[in-house]
Amino acid sequence: MLQMSSQTALKSLGGAAVVAVLCVLPFVIGLYRLDVLIFLLINIIVAVSYRFITLTGEWSLGHVVMMGVGGYASALLAKKLGLSVWLAMPLGGLATAALAFLLAFPLFRMKGFYFLIGSFAAGEAIRRTWNHFRDPFGGPGGLARIPTPELELPGVGLIDFGDPRIYYFLTLAVVLVSIVVFYRLEKSRIGLTLHAIHWQDSLAESVGINIWRYKTLAFCVASFFVGLAGALLGHHITVVNPPQFSLAIMLYVLVWVIVGGTRTIAGPIVGVTVLSIVDERLREFQEYRPLIYGAILILTMRFLPTGLEDLPAKLIGLGRRLRRIRTTQTGS
Amino acid sequence: MRNGITRRRFIGTTAAGVALVGTSLPRTSFGAEKTLKIGFLAPLTGEVAGWGLPGLNGLEIWADEINAGGGIQAGGDTYMVELVPYDDEYLADKALRGAKKLVLEDGVGLIMMLGGSDAPAAVDFFTKNKVVSSTLLPSDLTDETLYHMAPCEVHPIYNVTGVEWLAENRPELKTAAICAQDDELGRPSVATYLAAFEAAGIEVVYQEFFAIDTVDFAPVITSMLATKPDILCLDTAYPDFVNFLTEQAFLQGFDGQIISCTFDFYPAVIEKVGTEFVEGFVFQFPDFDDPALNEPHINFPNPNGFFTAYEERYPGTWSAVSWEYAAIAVQWKAAVEKAGSVDPMAVFEAMKAGGRAPHVFGDANWWGTELFGIDNALVGDWPVVQIQNGKAVIVEYKSIIDWWAKHKDLMIKHFEALGEMWYQRKA
Repeated sequence: MLQMSSQTALKSLGGAAVVAVLCVLPFVIGLYRLDVLIFLLINIIVAVSYRFITLTGEWSLGHVVMMGVGGYASALLAKKLGLSVWLAMPLGGLATAALAFLLAFPLFRMKGFYFLIGSFAAGEAIRRTWNHFRDPFGGPGGLARIPTPELELPGVGLIDFGDPRIYYFLTLAVVLVSIVVFYRLEKSRIGLTLHAIHWQDSLAESVGINIWRYKTLAFCVASFFVGLAGALLGHHITVVNPPQFSLAIMLYVLVWVIVGGTRTIAGPIVGVTVLSIVDERLREFQEYRPLIYGAILILTMRFLPTGLEDLPAKLIGLGRRLRRIRTTQTGS
Repeated sequence: MRNGITRRRFIGTTAAGVALVGTSLPRTSFGAEKTLKIGFLAPLTGEVAGWGLPGLNGLEIWADEINAGGGIQAGGDTYMVELVPYDDEYLADKALRGAKKLVLEDGVGLIMMLGGSDAPAAVDFFTKNKVVSSTLLPSDLTDETLYHMAPCEVHPIYNVTGVEWLAENRPELKTAAICAQDDELGRPSVATYLAAFEAAGIEVVYQEFFAIDTVDFAPVITSMLATKPDILCLDTAYPDFVNFLTEQAFLQGFDGQIISCTFDFYPAVIEKVGTEFVEGFVFQFPDFDDPALNEPHINFPNPNGFFTAYEERYPGTWSAVSWEYAAIAVQWKAAVEKAGSVDPMAVFEAMKAGGRAPHVFGDANWWGTELFGIDNALVGDWPVVQIQNGKAVIVEYKSIIDWWAKHKDLMIKHFEALGEMWYQRKA
């Protein structure tokens, strides 16, 4: 019991340290790197919310398109209807969740490979809708000049979130909220039920669990947050267009999550962070990126099938084994 | 004792290999005390790379020649040129990130872009930060893009010259069928072709926009041929698309005239469809070994030598953009020398001074307020190119400005109909 509470305390301390570092970072790095960090934070929401869907045992190919739904919805609400960005962004998330609810009817009649292909088809249908209808979606060029958020505070004046430092903190706040929500949900009865559906859906159904309802819930919650991520992206770069939400981008999300691991919420965060750093460091070799990503994916699946999140445990185990071998050799 | 590779050795050799690759691959930089940096922000990978990478290749040849010749003189100093490329994958978010890197980290004096769907966010950033940038697509321009210019390619309005030439030289052609990809490349191009055909008295019997993720072009060509056109108009579309469309036209037995904005990598198409089929194909982008480029009005140093150097260094990759970014660099260098300064704003003002500048195909006017919202497009003459005996040949230089003076109402009408006028794009 004592060990467990000290472990929890250690985790909390580690988490607080990471948050503290993240709060200091914008003041010690340049604006370009800060921008990279904002994109990384947005991608963390994408990866973490994607993992929440995988808890049900299903892997979707439409997650990035759902991100686009949030981006488009928020952009349209703010740009065409003149709604406050502060209202448009959560509404973008809600619109994504609502669409996810509708899609759940046909999609969760399928499982496994069929769900994967079904989600791809649904995503492509949505993407082609953006492409086809110039009004209101702007066609292939999408929507540009999307307003950035502003906040008028008494005594402080106008805070312009077009300033990347301020936008960074907004994004960080949304990331932290989303991580807490997903963590709490997973640790709740809902999360346990999702795990049960993942591993033994027939058994879960036989004890009265409504599988469709739980899968739909996970899909809608994940879609809300990825929609919010899309809104954050749109209002940051002031543009949304269909190529930003293509299957090619979705494949990168899959690689982030697989390389990071899906056992805990830390897995996708580690995956997207490590691969984003690799991406930036190897920018000069961009044309080899698919090759590098492929190699990383193969190596991870071969040597770390549970993902990078288990690397520390593996390294500790390896260290112990080596120490044991050395002790045995010294003894003999 | 275990044979084979151990995990430790594997990790060690992999790390060493990565380090070796990192230090041995060439970098686009030049070690000099005073350098002038040019940013290249365009797709270098993906399906649009055909309009990015060959441009960077050409730019590298230009930069190497400048540096080998002692650099650029300005204000009593000598500057070596350094290219800083950034692959934006033709995505708006990557383009914005690249723009920030090139400006905030690399401190470039000019940023060259292809333009199109990746441009809006980056161009807004340029405007806010007073960064001088160039595009090949003046459809990026609006009244707000103050420092964004199109000093070389004025896509797609030069397409009028090809249609005009065709009407003059093949008056028996009376009908045309048009297809183009459905995006900011294809739509203004179709508007231009519609205006040009109408001005030339050629009836457009079919018009189709195909999705940019189209993979099967057979139905597109089938629909076009069903209307029995005299002319197939294939552009604007990505290089691969034009080639697939041409191959489909061949496979489906078309024996009329083809016109297109570009015909990149045409030798590869000729290998498949034969010289006879593409004979007479009209487009707008010359090979630079063309003798017509040695005429005195051409503002590009030794174009034939440039083409030879390009073919030696990057064989088989010559495309519409291979010379374009280099041509912009030529203009920019002249402006640096004229301004006697490397300050981007001073160079920009020197480029635009007097409303005229040396365009690659002859001196031209800074133009575009009516069509693009701002006079940041350098417009003058443009070559009409035809495939003759399997080789691209300039058949005539024609004036875009003269065409505009006679038919601008048609152009504006069709641009408006397709929502491509600058004030419509801004909405």
